[in-house]
Amino acid sequence: MKWFEVISKIDRRIIYLLLTLFVILPLFIPIKIPQNIMPQTQKLFDFVDSIRPDDKAVMLSLDYTPQTAPECHPMALAILKHCFARNIPVVGVSYDPQGPGLAVEAFATVVDDINRQASIKEDSVIYGEDYVYLGWKSGRIAALLEMGESIISVYPRDHFRNAVDSFPIMARVKNYKDIAIAIVLAAAAYPDDWVLYPQSRYGIKVGAGLTAVMAPKYYPFLQTGQFSGMVSGMKGAAEYEHLIFAHGYTKDLGTAETGMSAQSMIHILIIIFIIMGNIGYFFSRRKK
Amino acid sequence: MKRKLALAICLIMGIVMMVQFFIPHPTSLQFNSMILKWVIILSAFAMVLAIGNLSRHHGLIIRKKKKNWFYSVVTLTSMGAMAIIGLFWGVDAGSLFQSIYLNIFAPLSATMFALLAYYMASAAYRAFRARSLEATLLLAAAFIVMIGFMPFGQYIHPRFPSFAEWIMQVPNMASQRGILFGVAFGSIATALKIILGIERSWLGGKE
Repeated sequence: MKWFEVISKIDRRIIYLLLTLFVILPLFIPIKIPQNIMPQTQKLFDFVDSIRPDDKAVMLSLDYTPQTAPECHPMALAILKHCFARNIPVVGVSYDPQGPGLAVEAFATVVDDINRQASIKEDSVIYGEDYVYLGWKSGRIAALLEMGESIISVYPRDHFRNAVDSFPIMARVKNYKDIAIAIVLAAAAYPDDWVLYPQSRYGIKVGAGLTAVMAPKYYPFLQTGQFSGMVSGMKGAAEYEHLIFAHGYTKDLGTAETGMSAQSMIHILIIIFIIMGNIGYFFSRRKK
Repeated sequence: MKRKLALAICLIMGIVMMVQFFIPHPTSLQFNSMILKWVIILSAFAMVLAIGNLSRHHGLIIRKKKKNWFYSVVTLTSMGAMAIIGLFWGVDAGSLFQSIYLNIFAPLSATMFALLAYYMASAAYRAFRARSLEATLLLAAAFIVMIGFMPFGQYIHPRFPSFAEWIMQVPNMASQRGILFGVAFGSIATALKIILGIERSWLGGKE
């Protein structure tokens, strides 16, 4: 067998083995790579950073699933850290049935971390005062539209069955007029609905955190200004982590940074395989 | 008669809701709010229907002992167990429901999805070949975007990230916008066909 035939017919088990090694090794030996911040990530960060503390809230729609959690969960953690560090109230919702489990986990992780480090009550984050998680609701489009009139009428009870009108946060967050931006973290076409319905009707600002595969579809929304920023894929999450770290909102980087090393290595491996496959194809075609 | 009534309701409500969108009067907004609440309640009933359907489908497989019937037992048991645990012991952080979700469901789902990486790498190696001009262009664009979006990209060439961003902002955006327009026009046409009773498959597909 000629050399070009060898490189164009590598056994798939070798590919699988190399792939496994390239994923595992960077997790044990992290490679520090400086992030170049994409303009859309910077835009979302700047928007959240410009919200006045204790004023309007951020509505976080956590609609990602466990399959896409490595990309979207670090975004949720980074955005929550950013909001809480700046005393911005957060209202969490979900429209994907798989969302609430990860949303509860995201809030619990960030809040526990902040409260563990808080020395006085003012530094801690309190459920019902600083944030609330309203949970999943059926009839997504109707719910999104109705929240423009009244959030409590859509969510009389939160995810944990507490009466929502008993929370101090809901006394100042009644509808979209009290929301600075709705950030949709999704693994499906949920951001479309936020732009089509509540934004066109109530003018709410929309930001998005998407998987890398979805991001190309949403570039037109960025250009038209329908999105006030976008975090895409694990790279976007790592960039947001870098931004909040650089601005002193957190003391350490998150999981996306570690994941980026593995992802970069995999991309390099795939590029090498594609080049090898094409060299083999080119020479075998010339021989014919 | 039953079909005509459904068609009439669809026509009237379709037109009313379209007109309502442009009338900001309090009565109109109140009406809109009421209808939206109805939709939310009706959507919740769809969940009941889905549970019923799933139970009936898998129940039949178990009763008839069809091939792989034991997977149906797992499906129904999991559904019932999660519903009971969530209803009676809550869904708070640290609850049993949350533990099962995070420690069983999430890793299983993530594992299934992670397998895609292996198939994609293998498929990219075998199928991503510069066989024609179009395939070469696709290959070149994919290379630039992949390298440009990698943190390493800026070290290969400082212009890589901005060139990758240009591909996303210009050629990608132009094609995506074309697709979006096509989808939007298609949606408008389908909505009009449903409202005017031309498209009737939602009634059950029979004339």
